[in-house]
Amino acid sequence: MGDIKDNNLKDDNVKNILIKSGKVIDPVKGTESVSDIYIKDGIILEIREKIDISGNDNTITINADGYAISPGFVDMHVHLREPGFEDEETIESGTLAAVKGGITGVACMPNTRPAIDNQSAVRYILEKSKNMPCSVFPVAAMTAGLKGISITEMGLLVEAGAVAFSDDGNSVEDSKLMYEIMRYSRQFDIPLILHEEDNFMSKGGLAHEGYYSTVLGLEGISSLSDDLMIARDIMLAAKSKARIHITHLSTKNSVKMIKRAKEEGVNITCDVTPHHLFFNDSCLKTFNTSFKVKPPIRSEEDRQALIEGIKEGVIDAIASDHAPHLDTEKNTTFKLASFGTTGLETLFSAVFSKLCIKEKISLPALIKLISPSPAAILGIDAGRIEPGKVACITIIDTGAEEVIKKESFISKSKNSAFIGQKLKGKIVCTISKGKIAYRDKCIKERVIS
Amino acid sequence: MLRKKSVIDTDSLSQEDIDLIFANADSFLEVSERDVKKVPVLRGKTIVNLFFEPSTRTKTSFEIAAKRLSADVINFSSSTSSVKKGESAIDTLKTILSMKVDLIVMRHSDSGAVKMAQHFINVPVINAGDGKHQHPTQSLLDLYTIKKIFNKLEELKVAIVGDFIDSRVARSDIDLFERMGIDVTVVSPTMLLPEDFSKMKVKHCIDDVIEESDIIYMLRMQFERQDRKFYPSIMEYNRFLSLNKDRLLKMKPGSIVMHPGPVNRGIEITDEVMDIGGEPGEKITIDRQVTYGVAIRMALLYLILS
Repeated sequence: MGDIKDNNLKDDNVKNILIKSGKVIDPVKGTESVSDIYIKDGIILEIREKIDISGNDNTITINADGYAISPGFVDMHVHLREPGFEDEETIESGTLAAVKGGITGVACMPNTRPAIDNQSAVRYILEKSKNMPCSVFPVAAMTAGLKGISITEMGLLVEAGAVAFSDDGNSVEDSKLMYEIMRYSRQFDIPLILHEEDNFMSKGGLAHEGYYSTVLGLEGISSLSDDLMIARDIMLAAKSKARIHITHLSTKNSVKMIKRAKEEGVNITCDVTPHHLFFNDSCLKTFNTSFKVKPPIRSEEDRQALIEGIKEGVIDAIASDHAPHLDTEKNTTFKLASFGTTGLETLFSAVFSKLCIKEKISLPALIKLISPSPAAILGIDAGRIEPGKVACITIIDTGAEEVIKKESFISKSKNSAFIGQKLKGKIVCTISKGKIAYRDKCIKERVIS
Repeated sequence: MLRKKSVIDTDSLSQEDIDLIFANADSFLEVSERDVKKVPVLRGKTIVNLFFEPSTRTKTSFEIAAKRLSADVINFSSSTSSVKKGESAIDTLKTILSMKVDLIVMRHSDSGAVKMAQHFINVPVINAGDGKHQHPTQSLLDLYTIKKIFNKLEELKVAIVGDFIDSRVARSDIDLFERMGIDVTVVSPTMLLPEDFSKMKVKHCIDDVIEESDIIYMLRMQFERQDRKFYPSIMEYNRFLSLNKDRLLKMKPGSIVMHPGPVNRGIEITDEVMDIGGEPGEKITIDRQVTYGVAIRMALLYLILS
């Protein structure tokens, strides 16, 4: 992590930042225009065509000519692993990885040890992340210990600062219990982030049940595993009027079902991961355990349906499902390896390469999926560059291209499915909580002090 | 072509490779008939049989093959229960490599494990069966057996019968047989056949193929190894899938019965058929598969190491 510290500007004395001539993106309006942005004491003061702050020693000026300026990204599905699995990731290492990926806000999942299923745990996360480079929004468990048996103190957890509830990693099998969780969540107008998996369907499964898993002799996980649970939860949500958010969509049918549910007025949103948009199950051929994820990377037909879902606006957000694992958990056979890939540091470049370059989706439309839209789902104030707000801004070199190397990750874990991929678009600087939290080496030449 | 090459799956074997292996197997078959069953071609070479999953037949076959070529053979067996993590398998591999060996024959209970091992070692490795994935030397010997008996491969009809979910033999056989122009039908109940096999020619009862097939290939049915048992019972299996005497007698002249062994007597093949003598007994080629297996493995070891 020394690397990062070196990369940070010694800006303790610098109070103000002027970003000049960048292409400022407004993902909500869907526009981009060249402007200067002046940040004073961490707060965005003004945005207009030409700002001149001559003779102010306390200002650092970044020449962002040719760069895109985006509101800081919000990743609504992250495993920071703390408390309990600090060997895989900590709040510190995870938030440093986040800002390197241009992310200024993360929602962290509650499957820690102990689980985030009580007020103290929520307060611990908030306390611990206070001085970290990016904002951390705790997601609390829906059921005690994520066991799917009894409802957590949802009221107290909301008071402590939980922004959403999830039993991520599990589905609540008991339908009556799920129904009551939904009804209760309505009292607090808080979203439920649902990991959809029918455990009987997926038991023992390692990879998407299809041609490749069959030929390679890998136990399959049928698409039905996701689809059955999603179908059930749509029905429960329709009845309970709860606000549900289906996370990490993977199947064609799930897009279809959610589209219909939205048309019928169900209060439902959903996200997809970069790896489900990027890969199809032919990646299994090498038995590379980095591709062992849950839900599994599915067929090309499913992948196309997910991209279509984004184009049609059925899919509301993209989230990394950053799941750090130790080398020892991945450096083994496919069967024994843990599920999950890291994703914070490659979030933008992966989806930019796939959706903007390949699928011709506009940059503002993409930014919407990773900034204002997830912020709106979580009900947090983020995703806009506006005067009066604490500066959370990501500067992107959309022309840059690089091959992802294992050594380049600063997350404690290196289990990225994107290692070896040539990705376009690079985060060159992240301003988070009003301060420069990350800058790439290349920005040195762009700084006028 | 095969020199220094690893054999992980049937896919990586070209037609030329296969022709070469078969041509060499013909000559090595003769070596096994001699009084002194040994040729000095691999003298000074060290081969390790690294078995992370119990095996007697395949291991013995590889061991005999190596010894008949005068190589030194070391057997390392470790059940999956003692080698719990794949990681320890990697350490084991590295340890053995440090002892300067020339070739590793590896079996593991997890699909892809041999391919994974390949990343850590710099000597050729032969897959002796990895999980449910592949068993390339078994398919080679199966194909060789068919070729020896029928003297051709094209236009032959083979029906593979039984449990496809857990079978690495089926996966490598289907791949190789189809490439060679053999007409393959799979015979299996739905719960023992992965959904993606349904794109092939599928039958659910052995009676549907028994009269027209040149080869009935029986897979091993392992009731005890199913994680979750969906097939109802042995009695049900016997009714629809087992090879009994009536069915054997319905087979056409010149046709054969194959099995990768070991046979579960009373499940896929009845006792009566296993012990049947005379003309119908000649259809059962299980012993010939074993004999040819040694020759095939000798050919492979020789071609890779010489």
